[in-house]
Amino acid sequence: MSQMATRQWMTTHEWMVKPMHQREWIERRGIMIWIAETFTSLGAGLYLVSLFINSWWGLLIGWLIIMFLKLPIHIAYFGKPWRFYRTMPPFSNAWKTSWFARGILFSVFFGTFGFIQLVFGQPDFVNLIGNSIANPIYYTFGVLAGFSAMGVGIYGGFIMNYVKGIPFWNQGLLPVVIMLAGVADGFGLIMGVGLAGGDASVAWAEAGSRYLLLINILLIVTYLISAGYTSAVAKLSIQELLKGPSAFMFWVGLIFLGLVVPAVISAVSLFSGGEASSVLLIIAIAAHTLGAFALKYCILKVGIYRPLFPRVAAY
Amino acid sequence: MRWGMVINLVKCTRCHACVAACRIEHFLPLGMNWPRLIAWETDVPGQELTTVPVRCNQCKEAPCVEVCPAEATKKREDGIVYVDNDICVGCRYCVVVCPYQNRTFFSRDKDPGYFPGYQRTRFEKAGRKLFPHVAGTTEKCDFCMERIDAGMAKGLVPGKDREATPACVNTCQARALTFGDLDDPESEISVLIKEKNGFQLHPEYGTEPSVYYIDGKIGNAPSNIAPREAQTAAHMQHLSTMEERARQIFGKK
Repeated sequence: MSQMATRQWMTTHEWMVKPMHQREWIERRGIMIWIAETFTSLGAGLYLVSLFINSWWGLLIGWLIIMFLKLPIHIAYFGKPWRFYRTMPPFSNAWKTSWFARGILFSVFFGTFGFIQLVFGQPDFVNLIGNSIANPIYYTFGVLAGFSAMGVGIYGGFIMNYVKGIPFWNQGLLPVVIMLAGVADGFGLIMGVGLAGGDASVAWAEAGSRYLLLINILLIVTYLISAGYTSAVAKLSIQELLKGPSAFMFWVGLIFLGLVVPAVISAVSLFSGGEASSVLLIIAIAAHTLGAFALKYCILKVGIYRPLFPRVAAY
Repeated sequence: MRWGMVINLVKCTRCHACVAACRIEHFLPLGMNWPRLIAWETDVPGQELTTVPVRCNQCKEAPCVEVCPAEATKKREDGIVYVDNDICVGCRYCVVVCPYQNRTFFSRDKDPGYFPGYQRTRFEKAGRKLFPHVAGTTEKCDFCMERIDAGMAKGLVPGKDREATPACVNTCQARALTFGDLDDPESEISVLIKEKNGFQLHPEYGTEPSVYYIDGKIGNAPSNIAPREAQTAAHMQHLSTMEERARQIFGKK
């Protein structure tokens, strides 16, 4: 009776009393962060894979994804987008402590070095100035752009990993998961480049994708198991993924489309002794890409804060 | 010098005066919360509902300062963490990274006015001029640093002189909030923390909050929550003290 009376005049606040979801980076305008982060993985992954197999078209598409999809969406999310320059030296030295600032610097370096590499790798331009001049510049800036692309691909993981209040993110493995998932998506996209007649071998991309998919499956399982042991709130995040509101995105988007479908298609090509058909490859590329969106969605959506008073609700 | 606050959980009477005082002091828009009084239900008989005042902890090792890409969130020498709204880019990383969730991103949609659909009141218009809130940036409690600075410039002592003390501390009718210098072992708050085993929220994060809680632990164990009788007694004692003071001042019975 007394409880009823209490509730009539005051409802218990949910704010930080019970485990609370982070909303800034996934709801309303926060959806832009989800999309931008996905393009980060896709672009950086494609650039790194293209660098490895020396595919100029792959490099170009990866560079375009970062510069014209990831960066504008990310900046548009800012409350004050025109103050974007304030995040970079000489206006700010935050790169010393902030992964966000480092990520922006990586993106700027990547944009610059990648552009120079692309120019000095463009066949018509190389013919014009000669191999002896173009090649050293192309490879030098290729190394620089490669390191920058790695930075771009991994910084999102470090940003989330730094948030101590969200135990599911506060795992050392998160940057690795995000980085390798990006590279796997890069393998998926490079198949598209090869399929469209670009300078990439589809068979090679399929082989690479096969191994990386296996590694990613193991990595995600390891991540979920290890996170589950760290705290009750992280366990809650995992429960939401496995059988809660985010289960559809996890099972259908990430596991089925992002991992199982591409893995089955690459296995079919392995056992049939050649490349999979074009239709199957297109399905694999689409599934890879949708899986990339699902992975970022799942990670951002199940970011749950520990309550302010752990002992109240046994968290 | 490092400014800090001690919150006495027994004395707090859940009156929300600190929240209101801050709203008036800084002309906070409706969707903005600097201090909060949060409540939850417990299973302790007679204590179905309990509340705790929270505000920015002005952490010594503030994660919001470290992650801000524009260096818009800064920490002063006296330990106060504040946001320079002329620099903030509105990336909201600080909002996400704060483990205590004591920051609010101020967007236009959080500012419908106190009477949505109607013209702003004269009070609101005056407030906008006196304390402009910049939409698209992040805001938080800053221990009323403008009051502290102005007061100290006059030679006043924050925590002792009202003019140099945060508005929420001034307005607390139960004297549940105490403000002072954490670095001074002789200060009132240092003594309170030492004598009453003051504790911080989530010390395991390593953020070293400057806001401490005393008299009553927060949790489910029966002995951890101050009994309602104790709160009432503290409140009544305070009221009788105030009554006595009023008698002395006005000379009335």
